[in-house]
Amino acid sequence: MTTPEAIIRVVNLRKSFGPLDVLCGITFDVREGSVFTIIGASGSGKSTLLRCLNYLEQPTSGEIYLDGKPIGFRIEADGRRVPDTAANISRMRAELGMVFQQFNLWPHLTAIENIIEAPLRVKRLARKEALDIGRHFLGKVNLFDKENEYPARLSGGQQQRVAIARAMAMQPKVMLFDEATSALDPELTGEVLEVMRALAKEGTTMLVVTHEMGFAREVSDRVMFLHNGQIEEDGSPESVFNAPRSERCRQFLSKVLH
Amino acid sequence: MWDSLRQSLDLTLFWEYRTILLRGLLQNIYIFFGGALLATALAFAIGAARLSKRGTVRILSTGYAELFRNTPEYVFLIWVYYVLPIIFSRLLATKFNFSPYAAAVLALGVSYSGFLSETVRAGILAIPRTHIDAAMALGMSRWMIMRRIIAPQAIRRMLPEALNQYVSLFKATSLVSLIAVEDLMYQVSMITVHEMRPLPLYTGAALLYCGIIIAAAQCIQHLSDRWRQRGWA
Amino acid sequence: MLDNFNRLVLANLHTLGAGLSVTAYVCFFSFLLAVVLGAMACLVRLYVPFIRIVAIGYIEFCRATPIFVQLLWVNYVWPELFGFPKSVVGAGIIALALQSSGYLAETFRSGIEGLPKGQREAALAVGMTHFQIMRRIVMPQVLLVMAPSLVNQMTVVIKSSTLVSVIAIPDLMYEALKIVNAWFEPIEVLTSTALIYVVAIFLISMLAKRVSDRFRNKYGLAAQA
Repeated sequence: MTTPEAIIRVVNLRKSFGPLDVLCGITFDVREGSVFTIIGASGSGKSTLLRCLNYLEQPTSGEIYLDGKPIGFRIEADGRRVPDTAANISRMRAELGMVFQQFNLWPHLTAIENIIEAPLRVKRLARKEALDIGRHFLGKVNLFDKENEYPARLSGGQQQRVAIARAMAMQPKVMLFDEATSALDPELTGEVLEVMRALAKEGTTMLVVTHEMGFAREVSDRVMFLHNGQIEEDGSPESVFNAPRSERCRQFLSKVLH
Repeated sequence: MWDSLRQSLDLTLFWEYRTILLRGLLQNIYIFFGGALLATALAFAIGAARLSKRGTVRILSTGYAELFRNTPEYVFLIWVYYVLPIIFSRLLATKFNFSPYAAAVLALGVSYSGFLSETVRAGILAIPRTHIDAAMALGMSRWMIMRRIIAPQAIRRMLPEALNQYVSLFKATSLVSLIAVEDLMYQVSMITVHEMRPLPLYTGAALLYCGIIIAAAQCIQHLSDRWRQRGWA
Repeated sequence: MLDNFNRLVLANLHTLGAGLSVTAYVCFFSFLLAVVLGAMACLVRLYVPFIRIVAIGYIEFCRATPIFVQLLWVNYVWPELFGFPKSVVGAGIIALALQSSGYLAETFRSGIEGLPKGQREAALAVGMTHFQIMRRIVMPQVLLVMAPSLVNQMTVVIKSSTLVSVIAIPDLMYEALKIVNAWFEPIEVLTSTALIYVVAIFLISMLAKRVSDRFRNKYGLAAQA
């Protein structure tokens, strides 16, 4: 059943790597404009779930819908399911922004060049327009003055903020954050979380995989706890953090929150 | 074209002359071993010299390595065969002549000692300083440290790259026909002139070298992988 | 000996110069062709499943056959087999290119495979196509990483080019040997020729390293060994 504002719908998603089942039947909806946080132990399948959403990993079975349109497959006229073309998948990916744990900025391009690369090549915008958009988002992450710096000269926190601006510059429908602060030194996570909070406040639809429980508690509209590829707990931050029903969730939280 | 193709792949000519050709190949192998031996001996000397404490020794040995790494093998071969005897004759005031074999071994050996010395140096440098410190703290002498701690490890680390250099050296032995050594290519040229049919022989020679080198490279790859598994290289 | 030098080398500077320019010409075009062939072979090997085995065979053959053997083979056998090359210069360029294309293909491959996969993933995530990713993200970085190997292959081409004199291409070595054969006095000419090659190769390596370091500096990366 699709609620009218469900911008992402995942139905019975399964993913196996050979004999190893990483995702075992995940089903959930994400409402537009909400912040949806996924928590869980390492190996629980959180990152894999996110990477299936923009088809960096190909699901073994199940369906994913972005704004009503399926990702990775097409429904033919006679109702058959066929794998989608590479071009269509690229097009869908352009509507999902992803921020990686390892930033993945392109080292041979400056900050602003990193940001406008996709708007120029994928959306085929004029250079002036792309630069305006790029500078706008660079300003939003407070790095306006670092426009012409190469990534190697930026700190980890700065690089990640540029990466966020790069994803935002495509003006995607949904932003995916794959442990965006896990690779940062503790004193640098703050600046990135601040940007993420600002985005949430503006009403950006965000799917966040994180270990930052403070962020999860304060900023999320919904929290999902994943264990061994299955949803063990799913609800508002208050219910998940204060009164978890699943025993494993309780154990996990007690280990992570002192 | 197909007729030519059939002709060029007709290796019966190769088979017919196999004794002479293989005897030629044997010359390449002899020169290879001679050159490899000389190159290795020189490489150790120069490689160690490049790490010497004395500045002059270091500069001279680095100069040696750079000189021979940047010298074309063919030019050096010709130089050793034609020029060196004259220089020796003048210095020793007597008539001096190199046999083509000697010239080939000397030229290839010295030429490749430049590359190999770099490999030796890298192998020695790759040994963590801490191993040497530990040995010194236990009171071992410099010589003993060299013999028991540095050399075994360094040699293991050097082997994969050194083996690749030896393969290059073997390929370079194909040049010796140009100073009248009766090697494989020399015999191929002779037979071609005699038979007036270049196709199968040149192709055959190419395939023969190709086969030997690919086989050797596979062995080296296999050995390198095995050594890396054992944590040696 | 000094007036020998004058007589043999300085007087003939102009022929030696002509030889040197032929050497430069042959080396330049061989290297260019080698880069093109090497890149093609590498891309076919990595991305085209059906003729992958052909690419691997090509690369192995080019690497395993000595340059001298390849040179003679291309010069004497190819015209009968394929109808080209029609000139010795063409044969020289093709043979040198074949030799280096094998090594370059492998260098390209290790460069491409060595690129962190996150680089490609970030490009995929913003919706870039495979071609766009190759052209804008992968290739520039691979070329930067490969620069020392490219320079090394350049010097190998120059060193191997000395052999084209054997098939009567009037390069530097050919002109030098001509003088030696005319005058039977090899010392000055051969030593000078050898030194010209050494110096040329050394200068090119230095220059290339300087350029490469300047680029790395610009991007904020440390200089390579």
